[in-house]
Amino acid sequence: MPVRVTPETFSMVNYDSAVIAATVEKLIADVGLPTDTPVSLEVDERVPLGKAEIRSVDPIELFVEGGAIEDAKRPREFSSEAALDVVGRLLMEVRDRLDPAFGAPPLDEEITVPVRTAWEIYAVGRLSRRGHRGQRQRRLYAFRTRHGFTDVADAAFESLWSGDGLCFADVVRISESTRQMLR
Amino acid sequence: MKHALPVEELARDERFVRVELFTRAIDPRTVPDDRQRAGPRIKITPDRPDAPDAARVLMHGIFMGELQALEGAGRTCWDFETGSGPQEAPFELKLNMARQCWDEARHCEISVKLGEWMGTEIGEFAEATFLYEAACNPDPVLRLTGVNRALEGLAIDVFNTMREFARAAGDPVLEFCEDWMLADEVTHVKMGSDWLRKLTEDDPERRQRALEFQRVVDKLFSLGGFRGEDDDSPIRLARRFRELAGFADEEIDEIAGLSREARDEFLQHRAALAEDARERTGTDG
Repeated sequence: MPVRVTPETFSMVNYDSAVIAATVEKLIADVGLPTDTPVSLEVDERVPLGKAEIRSVDPIELFVEGGAIEDAKRPREFSSEAALDVVGRLLMEVRDRLDPAFGAPPLDEEITVPVRTAWEIYAVGRLSRRGHRGQRQRRLYAFRTRHGFTDVADAAFESLWSGDGLCFADVVRISESTRQMLR
Repeated sequence: MKHALPVEELARDERFVRVELFTRAIDPRTVPDDRQRAGPRIKITPDRPDAPDAARVLMHGIFMGELQALEGAGRTCWDFETGSGPQEAPFELKLNMARQCWDEARHCEISVKLGEWMGTEIGEFAEATFLYEAACNPDPVLRLTGVNRALEGLAIDVFNTMREFARAAGDPVLEFCEDWMLADEVTHVKMGSDWLRKLTEDDPERRQRALEFQRVVDKLFSLGGFRGEDDDSPIRLARRFRELAGFADEEIDEIAGLSREARDEFLQHRAALAEDARERTGTDG
């Protein structure tokens, strides 16, 4: 099986590693990675917060805190919707990072919160066009919080949300030029 | 119509899911020490990576609080006979509660619009029913100290904090809404302060019981140190607005002290739960 979820058995939360693995497998295909791409996902069930990150691109190793894939209405229960949102976004970022034309910075290079938000908008926008939950207004709010509550920021959001074929330099340019309007 | 409607019978559709405090209290999971600082979460500021979502969760909680405050104030108009006895409520108090219902209904509508603005669906997060439960006390004075002084006082702190967040993020809609709702909350708390003094003027024992109930609610809903006076407290104690709402300086000091106690107890409780979980699962940290 190309997807490995750790731990195999959960004791603090009611999660099933096989269900999580099936969710990740579906996402691998949806984001456009080869379906036999090996992915490992570590879930820290001890933490109810929502941190999610890429630990390695080759091989693909992802990490999430338990709260990131938890049902917002039912503590300690798994939410496939949340898992699709969070892991989908990470895998879309992995796809970008594996594409030399995208020109992503090295994984250990720090990215500012506004640029990170802009990249997430670009990732989730593409996922929503592939049939995943987009929560457009939620994403727009996150973008506005970092780029201003202005028409200029909304236009920048739209170019990311409906964008395709952008590279990292485009994402940085859109984010930074929008933030310059705030100064 | 029933008097003293139990919390289980509040009208909710399928969008809403309730989570009891007990369920949260027995959750063995922990927040790592380096992210705990003043309590379960650090202050919501725009530069925090999860700030927009943290603000959405908090505002949804406020929406649920507004709904229950409407239900609670409405129940206080209905649950008691009109009069000045210990199990009765004066007509003027009911008039204040009716005005509060009007305010809370408006706050519900504002909160729904704010949800749309921030990208939150009604019922997206679990509902905690503690506000309504505090509004079920059989003594109207205890309802006023538990709800109007303790929980609406907490609302003052939350609205003030969220208004600061909105200012820092440049969100004109959130800032405007918080400012208007904050003004109403100050009035609600002042109503609680005024009625507490008036109804217990000649009954020091009843006043003591009411203040003790307020202390219990205040401590319980300092939310494990979520509210405090430290710079990085997620919710800052809004001293100036509390003064306007009829709190004496020493009462505000006491709430700050209760918040510190609640924070210490929260951290001890979580550490004990984590230790227990480690023993059961055989993990090491």
